[in-house]
Amino acid sequence: MSEMKDVCVIGTGAAGGVWIDACTRAGLDVVALERGPHLGPSDFRQHDELSNVHRGTGFAPTWQDTTRDHAAQVAQLGRSTMLARCVGGGTAHWGSWCWRFREDDFEVLSSEGPVEGANLADWPISYAELAPFYDAAEARLGLAGQASANPSGPPRHGGYPNPPHPPRRATQLIAMGAKKLGLHPFPTPMAINSRPYQGRAACINGGMCANFGCPVHAKASTLAIHVPAALATGHLDLRPDTRVIELVTGKDGRVLAARTLDASGRENEVRARTFVLACGGIGSAQLLLSSRSARHPDGLANGSGLVGRNLMFHNFTFVFFELPEPSLAALGPAGMVAIDDLHPSDASRGFIRGAVLGESAESGPIWSAYKAPGYLGENTRAWGKPLKDYLRRYPYLDGMIAVGEDLPQLDNRIDLDPTHVDAEGFPLARITYESHPNDRALHDFFDARLHEIALAAGATKSWSFDTSHTKGGTGHIMGTCRMGNDPNESVVDRWCRSHEVPNLYIPDGGCFPTSGGYNPTLTIFANAARTAAHFLESIARKETA
Amino acid sequence: MSAHERDTHFSRRAFLVSTTGLWISAGLPRPLAAAAAQRDEAPSVLSPDEWSAVEAISERILPADETPGAKAAGCVNFIDKALASEDAAALPLYREALQALEHACDARWKKKFVDLDAARQDAMLEDLESGSLPDWGAPGASQQAFFGSVRMHTLLGFLADPRHGGNRDFIGWRTMGFPGPVHHLGGAQPDQMSGKRRFAPIWERTPPRPSQS
Repeated sequence: MSEMKDVCVIGTGAAGGVWIDACTRAGLDVVALERGPHLGPSDFRQHDELSNVHRGTGFAPTWQDTTRDHAAQVAQLGRSTMLARCVGGGTAHWGSWCWRFREDDFEVLSSEGPVEGANLADWPISYAELAPFYDAAEARLGLAGQASANPSGPPRHGGYPNPPHPPRRATQLIAMGAKKLGLHPFPTPMAINSRPYQGRAACINGGMCANFGCPVHAKASTLAIHVPAALATGHLDLRPDTRVIELVTGKDGRVLAARTLDASGRENEVRARTFVLACGGIGSAQLLLSSRSARHPDGLANGSGLVGRNLMFHNFTFVFFELPEPSLAALGPAGMVAIDDLHPSDASRGFIRGAVLGESAESGPIWSAYKAPGYLGENTRAWGKPLKDYLRRYPYLDGMIAVGEDLPQLDNRIDLDPTHVDAEGFPLARITYESHPNDRALHDFFDARLHEIALAAGATKSWSFDTSHTKGGTGHIMGTCRMGNDPNESVVDRWCRSHEVPNLYIPDGGCFPTSGGYNPTLTIFANAARTAAHFLESIARKETA
Repeated sequence: MSAHERDTHFSRRAFLVSTTGLWISAGLPRPLAAAAAQRDEAPSVLSPDEWSAVEAISERILPADETPGAKAAGCVNFIDKALASEDAAALPLYREALQALEHACDARWKKKFVDLDAARQDAMLEDLESGSLPDWGAPGASQQAFFGSVRMHTLLGFLADPRHGGNRDFIGWRTMGFPGPVHHLGGAQPDQMSGKRRFAPIWERTPPRPSQS
């Protein structure tokens, strides 16, 4: 019989890490269950592009999933996500671009009206409600940037805690090109220390940020910040290499225990008064759907039937280009200049919603080699002398990316694959995802804008990189446990508490009703802090009552 | 285009761009056998004939010109070690396809692939790439899947960190002008990022490993 903890947090990424930190600081006894190992800088120094970018073995060596476009297809086995399974979750290897969603990002349905084939919704919270938590998250993560420089950004008080990073050559060229077009480029806000900050080192400009762990912890993560703080309180029982296979409910409908498997395959049960499910938009949905019982035949917290549905990934548009002088793209943190003028929704463009644009994350040699066919064109063979000559152009190459808002659709979803199982015999997550026509129109629009900016930056050649054959080639997994006020239309309430299971919170990116055209992690951090604060207040009220 | 159409009707570009479709690799990686074998440039799973053929194919994919190519960079050693460990699932594809390729060379030229001149090797690889070699004797190993795998493996052997058995003496990184893992080299300074001061690459900082071949 295991001891009863106050809180059991499953997953240690942005949402889980914030909850662990907040609860232990309030003096609660927390057990944190993390499926992956507890890695650190010495492990990250062993990672390289082959392990982390090509093979994905640095952070998720055994991950498998199945993917398909729509329900009429049989899903194919592969490795389609960029999940990190380790203490810190996705924050261990994120690119760390940190955006606040704008005011209208929280009210997409009421500002746009319904769109055929999409399942638009307003968030049950407003920007104003989240703003103080954005402030706190930016301070905790040590954001580097220039706070008032985004012409499309939401209203805010005060600046970022750290100044922008010094630019690389390509960053300067892109900024100059964008200005020529009348745009207002600005330093991308990043959770990477531009100077020593709160006990963590300054960035050493080593490149290899996105997909990599930071070898000096200059990049903010729950691994570097929240988990150590929680351990220092003495209230955290951190259990890496522990997989949760089922949430078990009692007669009262509350979660009683998490059934776990440790690294040696031993089964255990972890009991707590409150459970926080924070495995990300795929993992949390997978675990809820796996937790079936007579009382919950379609999975836990799934009376609405919406667990796993409304899956969003963002709509990524890549354009690469060749500059007349060295880009120095291997030096410094991930893409350092952003352009957001074109973000606000404008239906006259033929689509709604928008995207933030930025210099794409630095590019290593293997990733650069993937792009050879696009550079060489269809009529040149991408091997032999042309391939070698392409490789030689590497110092002059750089790229830009648009992070576009994809619309939620009911049929885009995570569920359990009926055929394929993992090494322990549990069903793999099946990803069903097809772009909405609005997503494709948005993609085409921003593809053209990125080419224009590249040209204005002096590029002698630019080309698009087709990602239409990939699914979830991103860590931005949203929508699968929608947050809302109506239990028939959402999985969790405005506090990320399950409508059905009173002691279960699901505060990860799955709660996003819509995806915003911004990298989601800062919003996950802020929203997790908001929901954790509410939980702690509700406990305090009970104790005083 | 549906996934099915993509799979059955792919363009040359889609074929080459795809890093997930026809590029065959293991679903579940094995422990890093390569870590132990990285310095051993003798074949571990390829036979001597297979090794020679893969080395010759890789050299056509990244040929020596004014700078060294795949052979000098030891790409075949990388491939051999990958097929012994993480990419073991692709070994049967290599085995069957190499055998069929030798049959095709024998039928057309009465020679082994390694004994063909560069132009004839290229002609065979062009047919392999388009899946048009006649009387292909390996129904389970498609010509295009094999070509795509060797092409990708050759690039990886050229460009991955040398500890994986290829990129000998940083030949791949020198070709590209990639300076190496910057964080292992002490990081970079702002004047190096802006191009005012040169960042010295890894091969100027460490003595190149003596060639073992």
